[in-house]
Amino acid sequence: MGSMERLRERRRRRRLPIAVAVGVLALVPLTLGWHWQKAGWRDMHYNYPSTPTGYSQIVNRFGQPCNANASAISMSWTAADNGVTYTFRFHKKLGGYPTAMVPDKGGKSTNLDNDVYGHIQNEHLGQYTKSGIWGYLCRYIQGTTTWSTHAWGIAVDISAAYEPQGSCTSTVNRNFAHVFRNHGWRWGLDFCDPMHFQYAFGY
Amino acid sequence: MKKLIVTLAALAVAASVTVGALAAIGSAATDGASMAFGPTQRPDTGAGELLVVVLGGVYGSRQEAEAANAGMSFGDVQGYYVVPVAQFQGFREQVGAPGDFALVSVFRTQEGAEAFAAAAAAFGHPATVLPTRVRSLGGVYAGLGQEASPTGVGPLTQPIPASLP
Repeated sequence: MGSMERLRERRRRRRLPIAVAVGVLALVPLTLGWHWQKAGWRDMHYNYPSTPTGYSQIVNRFGQPCNANASAISMSWTAADNGVTYTFRFHKKLGGYPTAMVPDKGGKSTNLDNDVYGHIQNEHLGQYTKSGIWGYLCRYIQGTTTWSTHAWGIAVDISAAYEPQGSCTSTVNRNFAHVFRNHGWRWGLDFCDPMHFQYAFGY
Repeated sequence: MKKLIVTLAALAVAASVTVGALAAIGSAATDGASMAFGPTQRPDTGAGELLVVVLGGVYGSRQEAEAANAGMSFGDVQGYYVVPVAQFQGFREQVGAPGDFALVSVFRTQEGAEAFAAAAAAFGHPATVLPTRVRSLGGVYAGLGQEASPTGVGPLTQPIPASLP
């Protein structure tokens, strides 16, 4: 083998790991793209309203309790324990915007029905969302004459059968509460209501 | 020189007090465990109005009714109210079961009553919308005002033509 051939061989060997690395790097986005396409879901984070603090900001951002927008969007969520599909309504500023997963429901953002729900399903946390799933209800807070955040369609109860109001610990919702928190929601465990998630602070 | 030292010391004390006060206010405002509620709504009995009743059950005594109500969870929102049936004119005639106390929630619109009945059913509780409106004679609060206004702008807090006698 001549010295030129040895030189070429050495160069070829040096190029091989580079070629492999380039190939892998090129494959990563393609694989991710394929995965997202198959999953039909992407975290869009589109047009979230800023999370209000206190009654006045809630009204400024979401309108009066029980207004038509508060119940404009519906979504379904199947409980993992009993297989019941709960259909509930929520505010049009918190979802209903068309995505690969959500049809156009006339909503303004991708928050709840695409991003939060999609995250929970994509991270295989749906197994922890159990029976008793509620959204909009034009009602007061239990035992009071003060509007519940449910009356604005900015609150969701999940796993109500497992996370009773008044309990200051969580059994199942703690497994996915971070997803809500990362999308602007407050978890009711902060005030001993672990079934409850609301898109508001200071209320 | 002495004056300057005193002034600087006073400024330092004032600054520390201000920073401390601001920190206290800030931590109080962002305290996760604290709960600030909105305004309390006036309990509206709709005295004299003709109201739609959603009935959850009729019981012989207040204690029985209270016990039944305690067993009916509506998550963290208010469900039924325990009321004496005598506070609604035309109630007994429509309800076959005897008893002096009932679990009810009352509404001015049929839509409001049906939405609540659907929610109660979804929670797994009995809910019957009485076919004929009853006249409220006042008495204890029975849930009036917790329904959407037909205008779509907020809750219905005033009588409507259908609820006026």
